[in-house]
Amino acid sequence: MSQNKLRNRQVLRGLLTEIKSKAKSLNTPIKIMEVCGTHTMAIHRHGLKKLLEDSGIEMVSGPGCPVCITPNEIHEAAINLVTENNNFILTTFGDMTRVPTRKGSIQTIVPAAGSQVKIVYSPEESLEIARKNPEKEIIFFGVGFETTIPSIALTVKIAAEEKISNFSVLSALWLVPPPLNALVSAKDTKIQGFLYPGHVSAIIGEKPYYFIAEKFNIPGAIAGFEPGDILLALSSILDQKKTGKAEVANEYSRVVRADGNPTALRVMDDMLKVKDSLWRGLGLIPKSGLQFKSKYSAFNAEKKHSLKIEGGSGDLPGCRCGEVLPGKISPPQCELFGKKCNPDSPYGPCMVSFEGACLAYYKYQR
Amino acid sequence: MCLGIPAKVIEVDESKHGKIDYLGTKVKTNFYLLEDVKKGDWVIVHAGFAISKLNEEEAKETMDLIREYIDHPET
Ligand code: SF4
Repeated sequence: MSQNKLRNRQVLRGLLTEIKSKAKSLNTPIKIMEVCGTHTMAIHRHGLKKLLEDSGIEMVSGPGCPVCITPNEIHEAAINLVTENNNFILTTFGDMTRVPTRKGSIQTIVPAAGSQVKIVYSPEESLEIARKNPEKEIIFFGVGFETTIPSIALTVKIAAEEKISNFSVLSALWLVPPPLNALVSAKDTKIQGFLYPGHVSAIIGEKPYYFIAEKFNIPGAIAGFEPGDILLALSSILDQKKTGKAEVANEYSRVVRADGNPTALRVMDDMLKVKDSLWRGLGLIPKSGLQFKSKYSAFNAEKKHSLKIEGGSGDLPGCRCGEVLPGKISPPQCELFGKKCNPDSPYGPCMVSFEGACLAYYKYQR
Repeated sequence: MCLGIPAKVIEVDESKHGKIDYLGTKVKTNFYLLEDVKKGDWVIVHAGFAISKLNEEEAKETMDLIREYIDHPET
């Protein structure tokens, strides 16, 4: 299964030439949002950002970085758990440990006696840690979009079946379509096209984006992560713009089915219910998050450990990550960018995460 | 974090646990989220879980489309 063609220089040049002429025929520059942080990284890494700009296509990064959009209050709740309780093991994905908050980052704090932080690659690994350490309380700080949510839900399902009593999840589970609705509904929206995420779509399919085409007449295409994938999707968006017929094109059909992954959707549906959620930079968005159903309260760290997670004003002063996430400013417009805030000592989450727009700019655009 | 890697299934047991081969390394993977999966299939793996099966035919189609640009780069 060689994907080399999707990186072949000659191929890419051909695609770019075509995109250029299509963009030119629109007679006006077009602003397209890449929703997913992994796309942001790919676009920058392959140097597409500048090449597209020269063709009249402005790519803006969207809110698709789960580490970034999780408000500091939730990061701080995780820190409290492991600093205020003895014999707790906090497990989470690597990026999460580096997010700076008013209490430091998970990586820099000093855990209470017998407590510790462990980085995991998979939610199921946390469960294995719980099985091996019955005398300790394990909390998995689980953050993610639809790509990751089924895995987290499934892990809790297994824990419930095995009646594992020393395991719970501090969850920050985000849904992609609601913030897109918020973005296009805003009066001052300037987004004229969407590059839809590839792996979120592998789970949810095409349908959840239809409203963007039907109600707002904004073109879009689901894309894979090779440069060729991204260019094919952009080409489709330009075609839609030209004809005035917006749709949800699937340019990643080798992975994404129209109806997504029904098994994963069923697991999500069985275990979780929707709630209104507070996003960094985007505020409270109705029905934009998920939480475990009350049947699974024993595995919900918020309930089990009586956490109070409130507010949304916990951003560190000066960090403009909250404006970067909805595409209002580009990272270099932040005064701290590249100075006080850099990958070695990140001051905000958008510089921490591999999917953060500030990090992508820092690495490839300076 | 939505990074997913294409990899080949090398082992899958009845509990839908198994391994993938990723660039020569065997990685423990949970296959529960896939309806039917067998040794030799190509899947996308994210955070230790296989989330989608690669459709080889579709993959080929994309490659063909891409190939057209090689043959006729200016069209
Ligand atoms: S450069 Fe750093 S401080 Fe500025 S917005 Fe980005 S993450 Fe925040």
